[in-house]
Amino acid sequence: MNTSNPTQKGSFPLYAALILFSIVFMFPLYLALANAFSNWNTSPGLVPSGFKPENFKYATTMIDFWHFGKNTVILCLIPLCTSTLTSGLVGYAFARISVPGRNVLFMIVLSTMMLPGMVTQIPQYILFHKYGLLDTFWPWVFWGIGGNAFFIFLYRQFFAGIPKELEDAAKIDGCSIFRTYWNIFLPMSAPVIATVSIMTFTGAWNDFMGPFMFLKQDHYPLATALSTISYTAEGTKLIIQPVATAAAILLMIPVLLTFFFGQRYIVEGIVTTGVKG
Amino acid sequence: MKEKTKRTIAFYSMISPWFVVFILFGLFPMLYGLYLSFTNYYGFNIKHLKWTGFHNYHKVFTDSDAMYSLGRTLYVTAINVPLSVLIGLGLAMLLNKQVKGVGVYRTLFYLPSIVPPLASVIMWKFIFSSNNGIFNGILDRLGLPTVNWLGYDYATPSLLIMLLWGAGGGIIINLAGLKGIPRDLYEAASIDGATPFKRTIYLTMPLMTPVIFFNVINGIIGSLQILMQPILLNGTELLSRPIQPNYLYAVHAFQQVFAFQRFAYGMALLWILFLAILILSIIVFTTSKYWVHYETDQE
Repeated sequence: MNTSNPTQKGSFPLYAALILFSIVFMFPLYLALANAFSNWNTSPGLVPSGFKPENFKYATTMIDFWHFGKNTVILCLIPLCTSTLTSGLVGYAFARISVPGRNVLFMIVLSTMMLPGMVTQIPQYILFHKYGLLDTFWPWVFWGIGGNAFFIFLYRQFFAGIPKELEDAAKIDGCSIFRTYWNIFLPMSAPVIATVSIMTFTGAWNDFMGPFMFLKQDHYPLATALSTISYTAEGTKLIIQPVATAAAILLMIPVLLTFFFGQRYIVEGIVTTGVKG
Repeated sequence: MKEKTKRTIAFYSMISPWFVVFILFGLFPMLYGLYLSFTNYYGFNIKHLKWTGFHNYHKVFTDSDAMYSLGRTLYVTAINVPLSVLIGLGLAMLLNKQVKGVGVYRTLFYLPSIVPPLASVIMWKFIFSSNNGIFNGILDRLGLPTVNWLGYDYATPSLLIMLLWGAGGGIIINLAGLKGIPRDLYEAASIDGATPFKRTIYLTMPLMTPVIFFNVINGIIGSLQILMQPILLNGTELLSRPIQPNYLYAVHAFQQVFAFQRFAYGMALLWILFLAILILSIIVFTTSKYWVHYETDQE
């Protein structure tokens, strides 16, 4: 599994390509940073016009930034506490317990990944409206408990790769199926748990369409608030771009930090689980 | 209790969280939506729904907006999917080489795909902006005529550039595939005198086809549903209408439901999208036996 490819020492063209692509991918981020420090009423350029770190302060004071931030944190915590766990449980069952009907059910899990989100979201909207669940966080709790098809798939791949001897040993010791999962399999699955947690967090943090459909402004997370509420100069409809950009950068920072410190686990998690059936 | 009964109980209780939520919040809404697509539901008449048969579906095919947006969506998909699959694979191959600081490059390449879509649109607007935008600044400096990147003629290429910027998202799955290719295969090929180029074409490519296949299917599913990037690239609100060439199918459905409360019609649009995804996936699946390489010693 841990085979690396032919040893090729990095050559000049290779480094040139790597650096070129790094510049291409980082360029928009650099521009955003340059704009966020710029003076108001200047057009965005390659170098910031002036140095105005106050823009970041205005970003958090001109709108109810921390209130929306609190909503973001809630909307991230719900799936982290539910989906991460239940997806593991479901993935384990699909990987290690063979019963009739298992393959059909697993095909259903996989096929839900093909379904356009809106095909279920819009009827859900109508139903939630009917049962008074719109503008509450309850839908996120339900979705979280149900897990996520892709994560179920990742967990299943991971658990399927663990040798059977471990399970047999546990059985001889009299462990129930659930105990075997909890005491033996789960502690081994740190890389895949880390991968799923990071992806759950990033997805929930960035999602702005879901909250836009199911919540009202007071419950919006930051991502939705920033795409619906503008930073305008008092009494006008003029958007103050540097402040809006500063807000977007503040929105990005937690995701970037999480990825930066967690990317090792993601790569490890996905590489060791393998994507092939 | 018999071993088999125990297993069955354990299995079904362990998958029950997913199963119950799937029935209540997946299957049931889906079928309810299918039912609504055959009625005249427009937001206020839930108590007096009238069965209208295939009226809404017929309307989809006579609605010039729907047909136009479907065409644009297929066009965007036809360009976006192959390019993003190739870019993802190419970048992963670069990152699979032994270089110093590979983790740093990996992070840099992958970052665009996790930047909140809202933030990436804001950044790209600076680049595309017609007065003092970066692209036009470069064109100007080179003595070339500037263009209106977000205007009618260039809006779709601009959208594609923005989408491809995030193509690094495919790196991880590609890397996983590349690292799964046994090293001795490469060594054997080298001993037989295969050049690095030949090794890539005759060894890496065939062995990567399952991953490419997976990425193509996923890419098609994702591309047909592109929704927020075209809305935000030209508009300032989630309900604003994108410029005509970027008026994609999912945007049309979204607008029908949330801007005009045409729920029944919106559902008919979405079911047709679902069918389009299924048909395209089946086509790719049926071609897969000609180009996807599966190891013979499969379990």
